[in-house]
Amino acid sequence: MTDIRARTGDFEAAVLPHLDLLYRVARRYTRDTPRAEDLVQETVLKALAHWDSFRPGSNARAWLLTILRNTFVSAYRKGRHEAVALEPEALDRVSTRPEAAADPSGEFFARITDERILGAVEALPEDFREVVVLSDIEGMSYAEIAKVLEVPIGTVKSRLFRARQRLQAELLEYAVSMGWVRPRAAG
Amino acid sequence: MSAGHTTCREAIALLEDWLKEELTPELAGRVRAHFDRCRPCFRHAEFERRFLAELEAAGRGERCPDQLRSDLLREIRGADRD
Repeated sequence: MTDIRARTGDFEAAVLPHLDLLYRVARRYTRDTPRAEDLVQETVLKALAHWDSFRPGSNARAWLLTILRNTFVSAYRKGRHEAVALEPEALDRVSTRPEAAADPSGEFFARITDERILGAVEALPEDFREVVVLSDIEGMSYAEIAKVLEVPIGTVKSRLFRARQRLQAELLEYAVSMGWVRPRAAG
Repeated sequence: MSAGHTTCREAIALLEDWLKEELTPELAGRVRAHFDRCRPCFRHAEFERRFLAELEAAGRGERCPDQLRSDLLREIRGADRD
């Protein structure tokens, strides 16, 4: 009895600090509140069932996210997964995003809402969405994301770059349509 | 990268890693020094930094609902009695 109490006590200490993170990531994966709640619940119960396989002192956050992602992929994903094509490092990064020049007074940042930003994140293909969420919202390192997604660090970086490009293009198009920023000159 | 001043191309190629604080201190310092003396690159970097700050702020506002949290706690502690 004492052993079991200690076991669930350890589990609580390792997992409860990450519930907000698991919920946010589940929201972005499922794009739906009730399904996100179900996904978090299933993730935590699976983690509890497999707690013996967790190595004490290792990265509980990455371990939990791996379980969450596998659960999403096997049971919650709707429709066919469409992998995104990546041309590795073929992009000219100097000329890609000079958007600041179109918005000298910073109207874009002053007016864009959280809802609009999250809507644009949720409109991204899943491979792009998950790297943006893990890196730019949750602040995880390239190495930690690579571990959770089981892809090389270079893939994480390429996807992240492309995902941010798409997000900015989408949000700037909206900002231009609202008259907040000037359209970029052609050429 | 050659010794001496970092070029615009080099600095912008390293921008993502610099913003994520994944460069060595030496390389990060060189990128920082470039942005300090190059206004167009500084503006580019500043746009990216603010964009990432907005993205983080937008996404970090949500918390696990209290009901779900207490349901989970009950299930975890209920496992003691099984």
